[in-house]
Amino acid sequence: MRFDLTVLVPHLGFLAEGALLTALVCGLALVGGVILGMVVAIARTSSNRVVNRIAAAYVDLFRNIPFIVQLFFFYYGLPEIGIFIDAFTTGVVALSIAGGAYASDAIRAGILAIDTGILEAAEVSGLSRRTIFRRIVLPIALRTSVRPLGSVLINMILTSSVLSTITLNELTGQAKIVASDTFRPFEVYFVLLVVYAALTYLVSLGIALLHRRLNRDLSEPVG
Amino acid sequence: MLNVEQVRKTFGTVTVLDGVNLAVKPGEVVSILGSSGSGKSTLIRCINGLERLDGGRITVDDFDVSKPRELAEARKRSGTVFQLFNLYPHMTALQNITLAPIEVLKRSRAEAEDEGRALLASVGLGDRAEAYPAQLSGGQRQRVGICRALAMRPRYLLLDEVTSALDPEMTSEVLDILAKLASGGTTMLFVTHEIEFARQISDRVVFLEKGVLLVDLPTRDFFAAGGGLAQPRVAQFLSKMRKD
Amino acid sequence: MRYTEFTPYDLVLLAQGLGVTVALFLGTSLIGLAVGTLWGIVRYYRVPGLTQIITFVAELLKNSPVLVQLFLVFFGFPAFFHLDLGPVGAAVITLSANTAAFVYVIAVSAIESIGRDQIEAARVFGLSRWQVLRHVIAPQAAAFSIGPLTALLVNQLQVTSLISVIGVMDLSKIGATLNLRTLKPFVVWSVVGLLYYLAAKLVATLGARIERRLRAHTAFRGL
Repeated sequence: MRFDLTVLVPHLGFLAEGALLTALVCGLALVGGVILGMVVAIARTSSNRVVNRIAAAYVDLFRNIPFIVQLFFFYYGLPEIGIFIDAFTTGVVALSIAGGAYASDAIRAGILAIDTGILEAAEVSGLSRRTIFRRIVLPIALRTSVRPLGSVLINMILTSSVLSTITLNELTGQAKIVASDTFRPFEVYFVLLVVYAALTYLVSLGIALLHRRLNRDLSEPVG
Repeated sequence: MLNVEQVRKTFGTVTVLDGVNLAVKPGEVVSILGSSGSGKSTLIRCINGLERLDGGRITVDDFDVSKPRELAEARKRSGTVFQLFNLYPHMTALQNITLAPIEVLKRSRAEAEDEGRALLASVGLGDRAEAYPAQLSGGQRQRVGICRALAMRPRYLLLDEVTSALDPEMTSEVLDILAKLASGGTTMLFVTHEIEFARQISDRVVFLEKGVLLVDLPTRDFFAAGGGLAQPRVAQFLSKMRKD
Repeated sequence: MRYTEFTPYDLVLLAQGLGVTVALFLGTSLIGLAVGTLWGIVRYYRVPGLTQIITFVAELLKNSPVLVQLFLVFFGFPAFFHLDLGPVGAAVITLSANTAAFVYVIAVSAIESIGRDQIEAARVFGLSRWQVLRHVIAPQAAAFSIGPLTALLVNQLQVTSLISVIGVMDLSKIGATLNLRTLKPFVVWSVVGLLYYLAAKLVATLGARIERRLRAHTAFRGL
């Protein structure tokens, strides 16, 4: 058989729709994951033992159980307890929760790396713990963890392909349909593979740029 | 009045402060001298509540720093300038200065910024308000650090070896400002290695040795042959520091 | 099929699924380790052309979803090369290649972690490139790589769950079967998740133990 990519041309719009859905799911899950990651990171740096343990257990569990198992747990389980949400919402929730476990590690490392002198300066100036967290700890931690958070996003993009198994027609889901319509699975999945790789490459470039921009003020040499 | 009474502080088995007594009246400039490891910085950290006391009592205008409820009030009355500046790296010079006035004293942003700019101008940094700490020299950073402490209008300014991390030129930048503050009537508790400077600006000099306050004398007496210099440890310290 | 309660036989099913997962994990890990290391050696010898191709393929494998890689091999290869591998064959090829790509990256950084000067010094003593690799690089690189390799294997264990999508009767597929039959998603996916979790912990513990032993070994020699 000849390697013929022209068979895909009529389906490009259809695939683009899927790519858009992938972007939307990952965008929402990134927001959800980072918010969850912040909360968990704060919990894990807290001096309260119980809070600390619960947060650590969450990270440990969701990092050591396959995403597809987590996804099915929510997708088939939630209706069981009367929560009916569609595949899209389930996907965003599951990706956020899994991503949050990784994001919390990145943010926690960022928090722990903050110079204690800076925190002491904030403390003696009378700022409340809440304000110190909101205005000093989190902004610094988020800036310094842009790169690891970027890896979390890239993993999210790759992992989102699994959402095709719960009938969500994101990029991989759409590609499955095209593959069976055209009877050209090799071309379809080969292109899909390259598209994902290109997508994650672009994202990693963007992250490097963002990292440099955000940390420009932090890293400029003493003048 | 800033009162330190019989303060004890230990780290594990090491006693860092051993029954220290010290009183600073409003308007006074008091220098704390002593070799490194004598407990000078720990004393400052006890006064601003960064270290918990193992004995004794510290009050700032009658607010006890060991009582959580009173610590906040005590902290409002004192401002600390650190050896390593400890500026917030993600904020501009002006933001560093206005954060606490806005958040703690509930000043309006406009008011706090006006005051912050005025403070920066007074230390010769009027044009660097929007600069980030990483874009400033060490001396400039420490001047911002001083402004940040002053912005809270503290009754007592605590200075913890504020020139130790600076080269001589930058040191004099910062000392000039402190001299101006001293002559302007700001109350200061000043941990330093700059003996000549301490002599010029202080009303009193105290000498710490191994956690014990050996000498507490008016500046003139401290440096007089029959006063502080009569103490062999002080004489030894002064001659060593002057040689360095 | 009628919906029915759990039966004791389900435990046998779960054990079988776990067996398939573990067998495929071990098999593909070994192949992946061998192939990835081989790729690393090719790079060490700076074989022209081949090195670039390997780097490109590894990047492609690392930065695209494993699910898409699986589809390409399982659906694409039969259609394009007339090469019907079956679910297990496709799973073995894909998982091995994917593991190899990550092993390659670890191998490259492990070799690079050993200073040029050390390698050059050994060469000056008249050791051949192979002898340097065998006696200077390999022992140090092994100690260096155990940590990242353990993390990789914990991750690859979870990745095996994706082969359930192409019909391999692994632990996840058994989970899906039981889920459909009993309609008890919470119980089923919790048990399946727990089994994966325990397996992941086992891999992590073994990795940590090997790492300790290797480090103790180098420390002892250092005395």
